[in-house]
Order: sequence, then C-alpha cells, then structure tokens
Amino acid sequence: MIGLEAFVFAIIVFGFLGTIFKKNLLMKIVSMDVMSTGVIAYYVLVAAREGLFTPIIGNAKNNASYADPVPQSVILTAIVIGLSIQAVMLVGVMKLSKENPTLESSEIEKNNLV
Amino acid sequence: MNAITIGFIVWPFLTGFLIFILPKIDRYLAIITAITSLAYGLYLFSQPSLSLKLLDNFGVTLLVDELSGYFILTNALVTAAVTLYCWQTDKTAFFYGQLIILHGSLNAAFVCTDFVSLYVALEVSGIAGCLLVAYPRNDRSIWVALRYLFVSNIAMLFYLVGVVLVYQAHHSFSFEGLRGAPPEAIALIFMGLLTKGGVFVSGLWLPMTHSESETPVSAMLSGVVVKAGVFPLVRCALILDEVNPIVRFFGLSTAILGVCYAVFEKDTKRMLAFHTVSQLGFILAAPPVGGFYTLTHGLVKSSLFMLAGALPSRNFKELQSKPIDTSLWVALVVAAFSISGFPLLSGFGAKVLTMKNLLPWQDWAMNLVAVGTAISFAKFIFLPHKTQEEAKPLRVGFWLGVLLLIGGLIVANVVYYEAYNLLNIIKAVAVIGVGWLAYWLIFRRTAIKLPRMFEQFEDLLGVMTLISILLFWVAVSSGWS
Repeated sequence: MIGLEAFVFAIIVFGFLGTIFKKNLLMKIVSMDVMSTGVIAYYVLVAAREGLFTPIIGNAKNNASYADPVPQSVILTAIVIGLSIQAVMLVGVMKLSKENPTLESSEIEKNNLV
Repeated sequence: MNAITIGFIVWPFLTGFLIFILPKIDRYLAIITAITSLAYGLYLFSQPSLSLKLLDNFGVTLLVDELSGYFILTNALVTAAVTLYCWQTDKTAFFYGQLIILHGSLNAAFVCTDFVSLYVALEVSGIAGCLLVAYPRNDRSIWVALRYLFVSNIAMLFYLVGVVLVYQAHHSFSFEGLRGAPPEAIALIFMGLLTKGGVFVSGLWLPMTHSESETPVSAMLSGVVVKAGVFPLVRCALILDEVNPIVRFFGLSTAILGVCYAVFEKDTKRMLAFHTVSQLGFILAAPPVGGFYTLTHGLVKSSLFMLAGALPSRNFKELQSKPIDTSLWVALVVAAFSISGFPLLSGFGAKVLTMKNLLPWQDWAMNLVAVGTAISFAKFIFLPHKTQEEAKPLRVGFWLGVLLLIGGLIVANVVYYEAYNLLNIIKAVAVIGVGWLAYWLIFRRTAIKLPRMFEQFEDLLGVMTLISILLFWVAVSSGWS
C-alpha cells in the first residue's frame, strides 16, 4: 500500500514538474492532465484503504471489507470538471496556434506582454 | 428560510441558462438575478444564522450568517453595476449568461462550509471567469484567460489532495475537519485558496489578469471573484482558533507586498490590481470584521476600474499632461477618498473597524500600509481636470453603474456609525495627510520600475511549491500536529 501511494505521488509530482519544465503549451496542458490523473488515483487509493468490494448489498459476502464510496463519488465531480477545463483550454490553444505555430509558452508570453 | 436559501442558490444558475435560451431578455434576467441576490443579502441581516445539512451524513453543509450576507451583498451590487455598465454596449447574451453563472457560483462559494462544495463553486467560477476574460477573442485576451485558468486549476488540484487528507483524518469534508488533520492538509488547502484568492506571492497572477481584461470584467474579477478564495480562509479562521494566526499572518504579508508594488506602479489598471492584492490583506488581517471590509472594497474597486476604463490613457504620466473631464474626476476622487479611509464614506468605518480588531503585532505595519494606500491614490486625486464641453458624452449605463456603487459606499456608513469620534477622524485625516505629503515630496518624481519577476507563467506555478512549504512551516511552528 505504501508503495502504491509513493507511485501515486510520483505521478502528481511528475505532472506538476511537466507543467513547469515543458516548453510547449500543449505539453503543459497534457502534463496538467497527468497531474489530475494522479490526484484521481489518490482518491481511489484512499477509498480502497478499507477494502475493495463495491458497496452494494448482495454484492459481497457478509463481513466483507467494502471500499468507501464517498471519495469515489466526490472525485467523479472533479473528473468532469477536469475534462471541461481541458476542453476549454484546448480550444484556446487552437486559437493561439494560428499566430504562434510553435506554441512555445515563453514566445506567446513575450508576444502578448504590454 | 431553508427553502429560500436553497432557492437563492439555484436561481442564478436557472436564469444563467435561461439567458442562453431567451437571448432577447438577457439584460433584464441579469439585473433581476442581481436584485434577487441583493434582497436575499439584506434579508440575511434580519435573520439569525442558519446552518443546513443537505442529504445525509456526507452531504453538502451550508452556513448563512452576517459574514455571508456581506459577501453576497458585494456580489449582488457589483453584478448589478456591471450589468448596468454593459447595458448599452453590444455584448451578446453569452456574456450575460457567463456573468450570471459566475455570480451564482460565487454565491454558492459564500454559503458553503465544506471543502467539496467549495471546490465545485471555485472551479465553476474559474471557468466562467476565464470565458469572460476571453470574451473579446483576440490573442492577448485568450492568453490571459488561459493563464488564469491554468494557474487556478493547478492550485485546485493541490487543494484536492489536501481535501482527501482531511477526509482521511475525519471521514468528513466540513471545515471543522481541518482541526486534527495533518499539517500537509492545511498547507495544500490553504495554498490552493491563497492562489485562487490572489493573496501574497501566490497571487501575482492577479495584476496581469485584472489589468488586461475588459473594464467590466476587471471590475467583476477585482470586486468579487477573488473574494471567493478569501472567504473560506476567513470562515476557517472564525471556526478554528488555530488557523486564525496563520490567516492574519498572510493578511499582513499580502497587504505589505501589494502596497509596495502599487506605490511605484505607473499604469492605472495595474496599480488598481496590485492594490487589490494589498486590500485583500485588510480582509484577512482581521477575520472577525472581514465582511464589512469586503463590501466597501468590492464597491470601491469595481467603481475605480470602471472609471479608470473611461480615462483617455492608462499611463499616469500622460494623464498628468492631459486634463480629464471634471465629472469623471469628481467620481474618481470620491472613490479614492473612500479607499484611503476619509470620513463620510464607508471606507472610513471599515478601516477603523479593521484597525480596532488587529492584534498588537499587526498594528504598526497595517498603519503603514494605510499610508501607502493614501500615497497610491494621491496619483488619482491630483490629476489635472477641466470641464470639457466637446467631450464625447459617456453612456448613461456607465454613470448608473458608478453611481450605484458610490451610493452604496455612502449608505454603508450606517453599518459602523460608532466610528465617528474625534480621535478616529483626526487619525484618518493624519494618515491621508502623511500619504499626500510623501507623494508630493518623493513618489511624484520617482521613476523606479519594479521588475516583473514572478509574474511569468512558469514562476507562478513554481511559487506554489514555495508557498506550500512556507504554509507547512507556519502550520508546524504554530503548534499544528
């Protein structure tokens, strides 16, 4: 379990580092998605701490250890929100790519400063 | 009361979507929604505080009291003023729709007391805010909007990790759960909120976003949207005594940082944006009375953004050589006087009330910040002006919006009329006097240009790690276990 947790945190950290060190705006957005995948995985991991069975009556034998449904249902909202933000951002990037075909964020920033 | 509260939360989302279906009456729906929120905000002051728990144990928890009342009132007045401002422009229904959805998500953020509802409300406000910033559809606005959404989304991802740590400790998402949660949780959650609220170094995305947006959007962003990040901090500080010193510490830091930039800034809209960073500090520095300060700041900052948008130039140097219209100047002076804390306007009462609730270690620094505020607004007050006959007349909507906000500033005086005694008045006038003197002697001639370090995209993201480490350190050192 500890090992799994370490992997999940590694995903979050790598995603975050990607948003900083990747030069291309598209890659930054992909890195952000990697990061949010890590966060979602962490919620699933926290939910599974007490057991892996789905919490539906009749689905598992008595005294089975159930997964906690609350973090899972919460993260479902976050997945939807992440998806919509991703979509909005990609549309923005499409528009920006007309004037800045390389999509280097430092170049876009320089072109749009006062 | 329960039904009214739930109806009040749902109503703006209903009208927001209705605007897309009935684009002909977009303006009317927008103004009706704002008036409904205004009525509800006023109604809250006559009611005892109410806490609601929807659904079962893990459901949404809401708390409406006077503090939420002030924030909702701010939201309603600023939205109404922005709608009036845009009335005669050719803004499409899309703009009003997003405006009202933004309004609704902020209302939701101002009443909830659990981390997940807050997350949803903040994310919705982020998306709606981003779409409003990108409304002109040119490259710069799209870039500014993307940058805003990106920074706020990364911050909210860290926030989510903190939230699950709270859940792990207590099996509950309520604000009270912060007590007993590990210090990592508070570091991550507060980092998210500080970034979202534009506080301290993590809030340095704010100046560019607020200054490069269109005038009504700037007014909305600076007037209320940042307060959605600040409100939960204030709420947590009031619920949990352990959090109180942390929030006060960051309030003090951001007040000093913001005013340092604002004093040297030569661009009107950037100066106002930096000043927002500083004023958020006043709200956080004294959480028990943060509500009233929010109201006065929201009103004054949105009116200032609208007025600054009507000036012929954004550069103070150019404005000094080109007289502006007297009617504009008078409105500017009233707003600038209020924010500097001059008697007769509610900024005075708010400042006195905040100063009274400060702890001894905050006192001298906040007084210094108040002088800094007077210095930065002296730039507006001492602009040359004359009555212009041939000047192109401003829209009626513009004046209605500004008058609504300034009228609000005068009416809000009743909240804390006890402030009017001789000692307070002398102190307020002295602070302004010292500020103006410093302006004439030193700052009018200085041409220091502060570097724009930390305002670049990668730096904004990198600073988040530093702020989390600082928060972790502050939390551990203040005895969090």
